[in-house]
Amino acid sequence: MTKRDVFQAIADPTRRAIIALIALQAMTPNAIAENFHTTRQAVSKHLRILSECELVQSEQKGREIYYRLEIEKMKEIDEWLEQYRKIWESRFEQLDVLLTELKEQDNKEKMK
Amino acid sequence: MKPAEASLPSDTEVLVRRSFNAPAKLVWRAYVEPELMRRWCVGMPGWSMPVCEMDMQVGGQYEWRWRNDENGMEFGFTGDVLEIVQHERIVHTQTFDPGNMGIGMGGEPSVITVGFEEIDGVTNVATTIKYASRADRDEALSTGMTDGMEMSYRKLDQILVEGV
Repeated sequence: MTKRDVFQAIADPTRRAIIALIALQAMTPNAIAENFHTTRQAVSKHLRILSECELVQSEQKGREIYYRLEIEKMKEIDEWLEQYRKIWESRFEQLDVLLTELKEQDNKEKMK
Repeated sequence: MKPAEASLPSDTEVLVRRSFNAPAKLVWRAYVEPELMRRWCVGMPGWSMPVCEMDMQVGGQYEWRWRNDENGMEFGFTGDVLEIVQHERIVHTQTFDPGNMGIGMGGEPSVITVGFEEIDGVTNVATTIKYASRADRDEALSTGMTDGMEMSYRKLDQILVEGV
């Protein structure tokens, strides 16, 4: 699976909600489906996409299958965003400096 | 101020949020006055911004160009201003101009929306970059290229090493 697919996986709001749910604890497809107004089949489809992107892992426990979040894979997405964020932050820090100057100028003019 | 936050609100967008300890009218000036813009967009050591021209009115155009003073590498951005609501919102297109760097990025322009919201003297700035396609966005993300500097630190490091 390529990285692009991971972004596809998290672009869907229902899949993001599933991720948030199972981040807390591993759950069965039925338990997950109870949290949505959509069909059990739709939830299964979302789980399949998430599995294909290696964002979730399934585990057989007795008669039930539990889905849990692959935290490491989520970290990978985080790292990409972090790179993006850093570049912006370095610009914004310079903007902070500039704004401090502009505020001082503004105050001086008001004092006059 | 809290550091910038980045998120993915949809298939084709990236959202960057940051707050500034200044009123909206001053933050606004830093976004629309070329001489002020140049001050905070130069950014990387060894780089200058020889072109920073902006006509920030609807239908106006802008051109930003960066130059590595050591090796003469250049790249930039151009675009059209689509919408201006003073002290509140700027919407413009953005096309990457690879200059002489020999790096490509999706040819279709992206659309940048910058929203300003002042609360108690603090201005929240929300920048939404809407790419022409998911592929363009993912490419921008995966290479670390962004709207602003459009160059990953890795690429920059490489250029700086090559330049020495």
